[in-house]
Amino acid sequence: MNVVGLETIVKREVVRSFSIINQVVWPPVITTLLYLFVFGVGLGSQIKTIDGVSYATFLIPGLIMLQVIDQTYGESSSSFFQGRFMNSIQELLIAPLSAVEMVGGFVIAGLLRAFFIAILITVLGFLFVRSLPGNWGLYLLVLFLVAVLFSALGIIFGLLAEKFDHIATLTTFVITPLVFVGGTFTSNAFLPPLLRRIAQFNPMFHMIDAFRYAYAGHGDAPLGPSLLIVGTLAAAALAVALRMTASGYKLRV
Amino acid sequence: MSAPAIRIEHLVKRYVDPQNGGAFVAVDGISLRVEEGEFFGLLGPNGAGKTTTINAIVGLAKITSGSIALFGHDVEHDWRAARATVGLAPQEYNFDRYLNIRDILIFQAGYYGLRGKPVRQRADDLLERFGLTSKARQPYTRLSGGMKRRLTLARALMHEPRLLILDEPTAGVDVELRIELWQFLRDLKAAGTTIVLTTHYLEEAEALCDRLAIIESGRVVALDRTNALIGDRTLQDVFLELTRR
Repeated sequence: MNVVGLETIVKREVVRSFSIINQVVWPPVITTLLYLFVFGVGLGSQIKTIDGVSYATFLIPGLIMLQVIDQTYGESSSSFFQGRFMNSIQELLIAPLSAVEMVGGFVIAGLLRAFFIAILITVLGFLFVRSLPGNWGLYLLVLFLVAVLFSALGIIFGLLAEKFDHIATLTTFVITPLVFVGGTFTSNAFLPPLLRRIAQFNPMFHMIDAFRYAYAGHGDAPLGPSLLIVGTLAAAALAVALRMTASGYKLRV
Repeated sequence: MSAPAIRIEHLVKRYVDPQNGGAFVAVDGISLRVEEGEFFGLLGPNGAGKTTTINAIVGLAKITSGSIALFGHDVEHDWRAARATVGLAPQEYNFDRYLNIRDILIFQAGYYGLRGKPVRQRADDLLERFGLTSKARQPYTRLSGGMKRRLTLARALMHEPRLLILDEPTAGVDVELRIELWQFLRDLKAAGTTIVLTTHYLEEAEALCDRLAIIESGRVVALDRTNALIGDRTLQDVFLELTRR
């Protein structure tokens, strides 16, 4: 096992993240503040509570998930694709690094970015609406699973993409719509019965709902099955990313 | 007797066009050996299969059939040990745009499992050797073409490879730098490094290489000691005669 090699990939990704700090730190902070102001203060004043908590407090877990999903997918997909596009990924391909070490490096870097973003928004949530998670263990577990899932998906789409446009396709047509209708801004209980049943098939709903448990201690769906769904998706995405990298798909001609 | 630095046996590399399923044979049954400590030249016209052969050696191209071993390590089955022995200075500049020049070298060593003070010292030594010390904290995009070429070589040497592969190392550099690089490569060979060179500058191959292989349409059409191959003619005459299509 080339542990130093894996660590070097992680370090390289962290350096990359901080060299594009205007894409990493400020967008989640500003977007979260805008959502809190517009929805939490503006719209929230018309809504007394949701599931026993203020609307602003209800919003925080969904906003963290929104940013974590966006940032982890963006991190690994753009880094992998850019490496392919600029050929700089050849530095890794000719080195004594296995697929596990390569994918592991990118996923760990995605995890670090996810935790950094999550902590940042958690602090904002505490400062502005005095909201903190009640179950830190669950908070970390859901973050971990979601970050692994979207880092792995980022690698998969970083490999599949032929141009930058293709990377944005998943974000625009799949991730963002599913996150928005997945309970970021409203409780599932507000939906008509048919839509409520359909929502059960939206994986983002389970991620947000499980994460909300860490804050409120309850959610719209049972916690166990939601964790199982997110965990299974993360394991499947990781397996596909590993398989594609090991086979040299679009990496080794 | 120790294993050769490179042993290629019946190497075939076929590319399949995903659009129409048609196949293009880039390397068509190459076999050759490069002994340890040798300076070996791989010549051929554009599209002859030189870069594909190099890519197969370093693991960037999948082998269709045949085998390659570096110092006795099969590049497919014993890839980790094989890759640790080789350093590649590619034709294209494929540096990491997020790192400064010194970090490009240090991170490169990291990918090979090396870190710490000796690595930082080696990076500084190589920067000094190639006249890049004053640029150490700058991104590679600020370097001139000649400096980028030197950085390519420095990066390939970071993990002290036993085998150095140079794909067109002096393409686009001025005469002064070319002569400087030649001397550096001679010193490297004298220190025991095996060197494989591809170049379109025939005088470069003649001046540096112990042996030459000329490749045409994916096949070795000549393989001999440089002097024996040239005889009483010029390398250009020999090359043109063997590669005329």
